[in-house]
Amino acid sequence: MAGADADANGTRTPESGALQRIFGSRRTRLAALLAPSGGLLVALLLAPLSFMVALSFARIGDAYEIIWEPSAANYAALFDGTPFWTTPFFQSLTLSIGVAAATTLVCLVTAFPVAYALARRERGRRIVLFLVLLPFFTMYLVRVYSWYLLFGEGGVLNDLAALLGVGPVGAFDFGIPAIVVGLAHAQFPYMLLTLYAGIDAVDFELVEAARDLGASRVAVFRDVLWPLTLPNVVAGSLFVFVPAFGAFVAPQFLSGSTVLMVGQLIAGRVESYNIASASAAATFVVVLVAVAFGVAVRYARLGASAGGEQ
Amino acid sequence: MAATTRGRLLSYALTGWTAVVLAFLWVPLVFIVALSVAENASTLFPFEGLTLAHYRATLADEELLRSVANSFSIATLAAAAATAVGVPGSVALVRYDFPLSGAFRVAVVLPMVVPGVVLGIGLLIYLRTVLDVTPGFVPTVLTHAVYGLPFVVLLVSARLAAFDESLEEAARDLGASPLEAFRDVTLPAVAPAVAAGFLFAWIRSFEEFVRAYFVSGTTDVLTTTMYAMLAYGTAPRLNVIATLVLLVLAVVLAVAMNVGDVVGAVTAGE
Repeated sequence: MAGADADANGTRTPESGALQRIFGSRRTRLAALLAPSGGLLVALLLAPLSFMVALSFARIGDAYEIIWEPSAANYAALFDGTPFWTTPFFQSLTLSIGVAAATTLVCLVTAFPVAYALARRERGRRIVLFLVLLPFFTMYLVRVYSWYLLFGEGGVLNDLAALLGVGPVGAFDFGIPAIVVGLAHAQFPYMLLTLYAGIDAVDFELVEAARDLGASRVAVFRDVLWPLTLPNVVAGSLFVFVPAFGAFVAPQFLSGSTVLMVGQLIAGRVESYNIASASAAATFVVVLVAVAFGVAVRYARLGASAGGEQ
Repeated sequence: MAATTRGRLLSYALTGWTAVVLAFLWVPLVFIVALSVAENASTLFPFEGLTLAHYRATLADEELLRSVANSFSIATLAAAAATAVGVPGSVALVRYDFPLSGAFRVAVVLPMVVPGVVLGIGLLIYLRTVLDVTPGFVPTVLTHAVYGLPFVVLLVSARLAAFDESLEEAARDLGASPLEAFRDVTLPAVAPAVAAGFLFAWIRSFEEFVRAYFVSGTTDVLTTTMYAMLAYGTAPRLNVIATLVLLVLAVVLAVAMNVGDVVGAVTAGE
């Protein structure tokens, strides 16, 4: 039986006499290596998520007990409205996608020139990187709190605008722009560093060759630099989009209760003991994220995320 | 001639843009540091003068300091656990071909991909209804260990994959046991990645809020304490803690950047 497994795993050693013994020890060694992390992942990631999926098909009774009568009612309820896009869940979902997309775009557009400068210039690189990384490592909650004080009707930005005689600026109130700024600030370094890695790996002799042959800067960017760095653009976008999509803290502080992102909606349903509905919404979100991830990963250069594969 | 002028202009524009972006990144930090010493701790306008009162109040706030200590212990234990299980897991991933290795690879990255709210809530429901465990210190440590695991595994497995395995085989040929060969040959080579993974997992745990919010129960950690403070309006002591953490981080980061490849660690870690 061990021999059959050995063939299946393609594990062969020249000393065929010792094969059984070596494979036996190899197998126990593999089990010992995998058991701790595998156990942790199964017990505290896969089991809770599986339970959540199961719960999304169950029903909560009057005494908050779980009634296991499988049905898709919780999912149907998420979209139960006339028309369906008026339901809170659908509204939150589309809002979250919009906010995440805007955040990604802001990060991409602001980060690309900086990443280019970083990759092309030796001078000052370490200092710029330090100045990028320190805010990045600062507590997220604190950064969001800081934006919370800066935005809003009585926030510092509006005070500043008033001092300059510009009067209250709508974009400085709590709401979607504030959420996008908070999230972009939080996720920016992922985009920057991923782009930087990509641009740094570009062979700039290609760029110079294209320039020598008369290509304009725009053409070089469009036809050489952009295609070569596209995998990093996709990877960086993923690192911005996914956390922004599922964000909870930033919208909680910066939405001014005007809008509800999907993370807040799920948390709200749990707090009102509506755990079956929350589970359905959460499952929906996870599936959506997984699909986006699966599609993007095909085009992305995820650095070591490929886990040692080339 | 015109082309070089344009090139120079572009170069200035790049420098200027970089400065603008850096300024944007630093706005919240500078703001918080300024507020930590400002008489009026919630806004700069009107500015009412400088004070160290918030620092004194912070250092006298035992509850807050206890939550910092809790966060410190949880981060240390969680990062240690993530490293302890993540390093063997990385070895398995890189060195062995096994059924379901693809699934394992995905599962390891999952804690990074699943939104914090979803995982926090999923864990809370699961702990309560399935395991009948009360949220608290140990669940938070384990939750953060899972959260930190991807950082450790991605960094360490990348380093392991780049490591020449024949060196370890040579040690085996010279009579070292598998464990000795790993400890004396491979481990020193991947140590920087292990350290980076630990550091990342530590920082991630220390600043993590959403998961802790759901699974920490009555154990106050720094972020949940901060959140509670903010629920009652502004929090002068929060600015102080944030400033102190920032100073410590600045030193750690400066040291780390001189010792290892922090940038590589960030891009590989996410």
